[in-house]
Amino acid sequence: MPRWDMDYIIGLTLRYGVIISIALILIGIVLFHVKGEALGCSENLVMSPTSPINTTVIPPGYALSRLPYLDPLSFIILGLMVLIATPVLRVALGVASFAMERDWLYVLITTVVFINLMLAIFILPSIMHLHANYQLLRILCPQR
Amino acid sequence: MPLLTLFLGIPIAYAAGASLISTIATSSGAASAYIRDKITNVRIGMGLEIATTTGSIVGSLTAAFVYSHGLAWIVYVVFGIVILMSIIPTAQRGRYEIPDPRPPDWTTRVFKLYGSYYDEALKTEVRYWGVRWWLGELIMFFAGFISGLLGIGSGALKVLGMDWAMNLPMKVSTTTSNFMIGVTAATGSALYWYFGYIQPMMAAVTAIGVLIGAMSGTKILVRITNKQVRWVFLAILAFLGMEMLLKGLYMDHIITIPVATQYALSLIFTAIVMSLLYYRYGVLARKPNREGVVMGGGNA
Repeated sequence: MPRWDMDYIIGLTLRYGVIISIALILIGIVLFHVKGEALGCSENLVMSPTSPINTTVIPPGYALSRLPYLDPLSFIILGLMVLIATPVLRVALGVASFAMERDWLYVLITTVVFINLMLAIFILPSIMHLHANYQLLRILCPQR
Repeated sequence: MPLLTLFLGIPIAYAAGASLISTIATSSGAASAYIRDKITNVRIGMGLEIATTTGSIVGSLTAAFVYSHGLAWIVYVVFGIVILMSIIPTAQRGRYEIPDPRPPDWTTRVFKLYGSYYDEALKTEVRYWGVRWWLGELIMFFAGFISGLLGIGSGALKVLGMDWAMNLPMKVSTTTSNFMIGVTAATGSALYWYFGYIQPMMAAVTAIGVLIGAMSGTKILVRITNKQVRWVFLAILAFLGMEMLLKGLYMDHIITIPVATQYALSLIFTAIVMSLLYYRYGVLARKPNREGVVMGGGNA
């Protein structure tokens, strides 16, 4: 495959990653204005700049499971996850791109960058036992 | 996004989280456009990402320590210093397009730091090469650290690493630094996520706002000259930098001056800095600017 093609794919990935994530976030914001609550939390609690509702009380799995119920925060969380995943995907495509060029030094370098990303996204949080606290969410926002 | 913490009175950790998330959006959005221009040097960018992502991990962990020990004032002080330090490179930027070439060293060959791009303004194909890869990596580690600690893209530091340390042309440095910001910010954001520095609604609204601002901003900016923008930007940097510094020192009771006086001091500081800069880069630089555009000026 010529190099132009890979650049093109990488460009498309970045563009659509951002477009999809912004679309999801916008849907979430619109839904929030319609519903006036999210994950059982009141409008004031979610909007407050000193809100205790942050990423440590929302387990990603739980948030995603509420997507079919059109929960506003579920859409926003998914949008933010897509946004963070976009550069990760870009680095993964970079490994493939250098492998096609048989540039092994840069395959190695790009793999190290990818490992650093995995370290930050999965490995370090699991070593440090950083898990989202669902009980706290239920105390803050009792479900009706 | 120092504006967030300063004027709305929201917790600095949430502001850092929202800011870092927005940085990914603008970086990925812009990079998708740049990659077709072929100015971004993907090899150089990816090589330096090793240092920025490592730095970002260390910086984010440091941020977690700082916030959990009630040392947020350190963030304000470091932020203030970083902003004030970026005034000089920003004032100098744009005085030259292509640096004076330096002889290639061993890192140029081993890491293939060669490249070329078509320069629209100069109407020529510009060939260039990078030197001192190791020094670039060192500065990039620091840039990544600051990015993770403060929740900013730290593009100015990345440009410094490529422009000053590796002697790359300004256009290559800026587009490549933009490409790198997304990956660095994704690393920091992931850790911020687990530390709970991301208030979803705030991050969502900020990301949308910043993206709209960046898109409409570039459209407005092309109509105003580069120089006018730079002067306004420098004034904002001087004011915010001083204000952050004073606020940080005030929080730790190192200095005890009323908030109103802090604003006044920052305004006076801004006025002094701006007149100094105007004298140095506006009046004195006017003469060499005429012949110095294509030749490129030193590397200091």
